[in-house]
Amino acid sequence: MLRVRRRTVVVAAAGLTGVLLTVVLVAGWAGSGNSGVSHVDGNASAVVYAAGHRPMAPAFTATTLTGSTLSFSSYRGKVVVLNFWGSWCVPCREEASTLSAVAAQYQPSGVSFLGVDVRDTTASAEAFANRFHIGYPSVSDPSSVITLDFTAVVPIAGTPTTLVIDRTGRVAGAVFGMATYPELTAILAKVTGKAA
Amino acid sequence: MTDVRAPETDPFDPAAEQDDQPGQGPASAAAGAFGLADWLRWAWRQLTSMRIALILLFLLALGSVPGSMLPQEGNDPAGVRQYYTSHPGLAPVLNHLGLFNVFGAPWFAAIYLLLFASLVGCVVPRTFRLAGSARLLPPRAPRHLARLPRSAEYPTALPPAGAVEVAARVLSGDGFRLRRPADPADPAGTGHWVSAEKGYLREAGNLLFHLALLGVLISVALGGLFGYKADRLLVQGDTFADTRSALDEFYPGRFVTAADLGPFTITLNKFDASYIPSGPQRGQPAAFDARISYTEQPGGPTRSGHLEVNRPLSIDGAKVYLIGHGYAPEFRVTDARGQVVYNGATPFISGTSGNFLSEGVVKVPDAQPEQLGFTGVFVPTAVDVGGTLESVFPAADNPVVSLIAYAGNLGMNTGAPQSVYQLDTSGMQRLTASPQVLAPGQSLRLPSGQGTITFTGYVPWVSLAITHDPGQLPALICGIAALGGLLLSFMIRRRRVFVRASAGEHGTTVQVGGLARTDAGGGFEAEFASLAAELRSAHEQAAQRPAAHHRQEGE
Repeated sequence: MLRVRRRTVVVAAAGLTGVLLTVVLVAGWAGSGNSGVSHVDGNASAVVYAAGHRPMAPAFTATTLTGSTLSFSSYRGKVVVLNFWGSWCVPCREEASTLSAVAAQYQPSGVSFLGVDVRDTTASAEAFANRFHIGYPSVSDPSSVITLDFTAVVPIAGTPTTLVIDRTGRVAGAVFGMATYPELTAILAKVTGKAA
Repeated sequence: MTDVRAPETDPFDPAAEQDDQPGQGPASAAAGAFGLADWLRWAWRQLTSMRIALILLFLLALGSVPGSMLPQEGNDPAGVRQYYTSHPGLAPVLNHLGLFNVFGAPWFAAIYLLLFASLVGCVVPRTFRLAGSARLLPPRAPRHLARLPRSAEYPTALPPAGAVEVAARVLSGDGFRLRRPADPADPAGTGHWVSAEKGYLREAGNLLFHLALLGVLISVALGGLFGYKADRLLVQGDTFADTRSALDEFYPGRFVTAADLGPFTITLNKFDASYIPSGPQRGQPAAFDARISYTEQPGGPTRSGHLEVNRPLSIDGAKVYLIGHGYAPEFRVTDARGQVVYNGATPFISGTSGNFLSEGVVKVPDAQPEQLGFTGVFVPTAVDVGGTLESVFPAADNPVVSLIAYAGNLGMNTGAPQSVYQLDTSGMQRLTASPQVLAPGQSLRLPSGQGTITFTGYVPWVSLAITHDPGQLPALICGIAALGGLLLSFMIRRRRVFVRASAGEHGTTVQVGGLARTDAGGGFEAEFASLAAELRSAHEQAAQRPAAHHRQEGE
């Protein structure tokens, strides 16, 4: 009887260890399940949030590169493409022409574009905007506090990140990492189409 | 162990342990009957044996050695690159073996996961057995107490039942746990006796030690799964928010995402470093002080504080350590059009040459028509020694920068992210033949009107390590508990005392026997002698008490 009990204990310990190890190992591969999020072009880094799953974008007031004060709430009622960038960031330089082209295409139909210049100096940022003919304003975020505010609602993992805000001020789509023309236009088509 | 029958489950009885121990391997099992289940059971017993646990522990220690001898990607990426340049043949081999990232290497993970499994598999069953053993009653009194290591015998006037009753009262008063026969009057029974045992706290201590050991393992796992480590270089006057894009390096635990970072911001208001100005220790650091202000969450109140080496700031569950400092020279660059295309502080990193001779690069990707790049050396207290600049003191008493200018393609428009401390000059043309030395306020005019760089000043920077280890406090508590448990189990002896009273021709005889279950430190002999004396005097007093009553009544 005693041996049986000891064996039970040993088996229980082995089982417990197995469960612990499995949890630790499986956790490495298990992805978190996303609901209400669809991927654009089968690309995991470009997503559209379904209506009802769109987090409210935080309000912020900041200084633009040209020195004027800009309040994000003044964009309410418009679809806004919000691009987090820095002149130091290699993929930001790669996507700059794309963003400039998409802005030229969508601004006439009422879509606004706004840059958030992260960890940068005004001189470098202005030289960047100048080189890539960026026609829309950017606000300075040298300390990443605007990024921090947005991280509370969208999992921003780095620069660049591009968010599409719908007319009600909610985050409707996002491109994590370098944005491409097909990704941006696909998200904008969905967001402007649905909200219209 | 000949006379005293051991209780059925006694973890301190080697014989009890052996009955379920692995044989000498599968070879010793009955031929042919060794199936898969037996192999698995054999492997499990091997894994959870003390020997394997010790071997794994030794391997873990051995495996950490390269981690402390070689530079690691985690805490010293610059050192790894330096190692690559100084040992071009050996470094790739070491990298292939994971020796530049020992604590993340698969073979290291294999060692600690096996050790974890071994310890859990060993500790959990032991814990159950110890818990059982701590609740166990003492064994029945043996028949021949005189054969025990310690024994005493004396007559008493009390009847056997009364004598045992008195002995039980004395032993109970001394804190012994007692066991009495079910029915001493039963002629088929074992007579009048009481067994007593003391020192169960030893088992409790052992139990505490094992549970605390499990607690330490769980705490370490907690830290690994839910903790994180991050680095940030912060220039004086700058602010950073604790978010992924504001951190230079971020090493999250398995269950940590960027969203788990505490939403604080820190501003470096002022950093002061003072150095010993003279004597044999000239140039050694005397004091560092970083004055900071911080908010715990966006929009929260701003607090101010100090950061000193080894005195971290606790914010929002994270600890912020001051781990290094240096100089960030400030430059203003204009391009061929006369546009200011760069204006700011650029952190330079001090190398091995001492006295904060620091190196860095300035990249101006948006200078036109061509991109500009500079490699520079910042010399805090510059002295010209035979044509080369040397720094003779770590404070910035005579700061200069020495610059080499390049124009062309920085390689920043496509491809992988670049280090801000390295300049890829493969697509660039060198503009200055020799390094150009600038004092604060001086400018270097680039040839053929390509622009100007001005050394406008310098500010200090600090590097901060932000760590969050939720297992730290539990690990400390469990560590202390484990130590306490271990001390208890070392210092407390389990000892047993038996008293038997039997009626003979010359009245009742009391036999007292005792043994210490683990008498490593000795001392039981004296304890037994005093206990036997106490029992004897109690019996004498009890025998006289009726007479005393008579005398009192007579007066």
